[in-house]
Amino acid sequence: MEQSSQYQERPEVHQVAWKRACHQCDLLLTRSHAPVGQRLQCPRCGAMLHRNMYRSVAHTAALSLTGLLLFIPTATLPLIEFSLFSFGAENTLMNGVMSLFAAGYIWLASIVLFCSVLAPLGKFLLLGFICWGSAWVSMAKPVAKALRWYHHLQEWGMLDVYMLGILVALVKMSDLGKMTIEPGLYCFAAMMVISSATTVSFDAETVWARLARRAQIPRKPVVEPEEGAGEDPDQNSGQGSGQGTT
Amino acid sequence: MNRPARALSHGFWTCLGCRQLVRVKPKTHTCFCPRCGARMQGRVEASLMLTWALTITGALLLIPANVLPVMTVIYLGAGDPSTIIAGVFELYHAGFWGIALIVFIASIAVPVMKLVGLVILCLVVQLGLNVPPHQSMRIYRVVSAIGRWSLLDLFMISILVALVDMGAIAEVAAGPGSTAFATVVIVTMFAVRAFDPRLVWDVYESKQAESSTQAMPADQQP
Repeated sequence: MEQSSQYQERPEVHQVAWKRACHQCDLLLTRSHAPVGQRLQCPRCGAMLHRNMYRSVAHTAALSLTGLLLFIPTATLPLIEFSLFSFGAENTLMNGVMSLFAAGYIWLASIVLFCSVLAPLGKFLLLGFICWGSAWVSMAKPVAKALRWYHHLQEWGMLDVYMLGILVALVKMSDLGKMTIEPGLYCFAAMMVISSATTVSFDAETVWARLARRAQIPRKPVVEPEEGAGEDPDQNSGQGSGQGTT
Repeated sequence: MNRPARALSHGFWTCLGCRQLVRVKPKTHTCFCPRCGARMQGRVEASLMLTWALTITGALLLIPANVLPVMTVIYLGAGDPSTIIAGVFELYHAGFWGIALIVFIASIAVPVMKLVGLVILCLVVQLGLNVPPHQSMRIYRVVSAIGRWSLLDLFMISILVALVDMGAIAEVAAGPGSTAFATVVIVTMFAVRAFDPRLVWDVYESKQAESSTQAMPADQQP
């Protein structure tokens, strides 16, 4: 970009310990973490940079386990039932996907499958793994990978949208036949709430800090991350050199 | 100089995967985040081009999505295919104006607003328009927050297709418009992801630098 070359001409060399840059406006900040229970917002553009929830890892682990357990009845029990004259049909979470697939709408079926089943399930599994695995040094690499996967998967879990879709379907077909709510729907609603709560309580920075803290305990030789071509974060370099001298 | 310090001009990059601040050598093109291992760049690569491409694709796909029928309700052997807007009107005439409003917002207003917002953002960056960056950021945040709600109609269709399946008496079948509509939603979600909001601030900063050098050339030299 032309703009970037223009910025590099300015010969300002501050001896300020920059800790973080806003990911939405690139403003450099001297704070990287919010205190527990508070939020760190970008002073210029207002983007939320960090939200430090109280006991984030424990709460996220508990909530994701709850979500996984709730997934079992949600996937197996029927959500709603539609009856017309003497005919009746039930809808489960996978039913709609399968009938779309059978009708030849493969692309549509895979989108619905991904957004309503695979992504929420993947989110719970990844978060559970991250919270559990971050306690071990040997799991640092898989946990880092899981964190990246979670970052990509995050916005594709659409349980809340699916819930609204169920409500619209209930209303839309109510004049055609009789709609009844089945027990699966309550499990689904609970899973939706748990999913949102998990997203809110999770904080990647806490997990990274936890991984860094575990790596410092010298149980076995600490493997430094490969820092190719001299790019090193300012935080880690200080810790690394400190370890080298002691 | 009391201009706010920007990461790129100080030789820092932010990893978009884990938001770690990383100091890079001056002429690095791309590198990997030392903490999470994601590939990183100073700005998202080809952000503007990708956003334009995906936005235009979405805008073109919006035509078949609204013209072709998304769903057919067959009741006692008779039924006509209905488009998205016809479904909204049907709900409105049946008296459910609240639900009709929700469906209208989710499936018509949101995709159109999203595309308009993306075009405005792209134009701001491309032409260097003198728009206050806070307004652009508000557009960006609204666009990235509302996108997922347009899948509402598709979830409803998938539920109804499974639920109302009684042969000749009553049946709901999906229509070709739903595939186009799903693709619009997915493509625009990717377009929002591809857009790098820091480009807006780059444009703003370069405008500020220009105007400040024009305003006081004599007594203020760095």
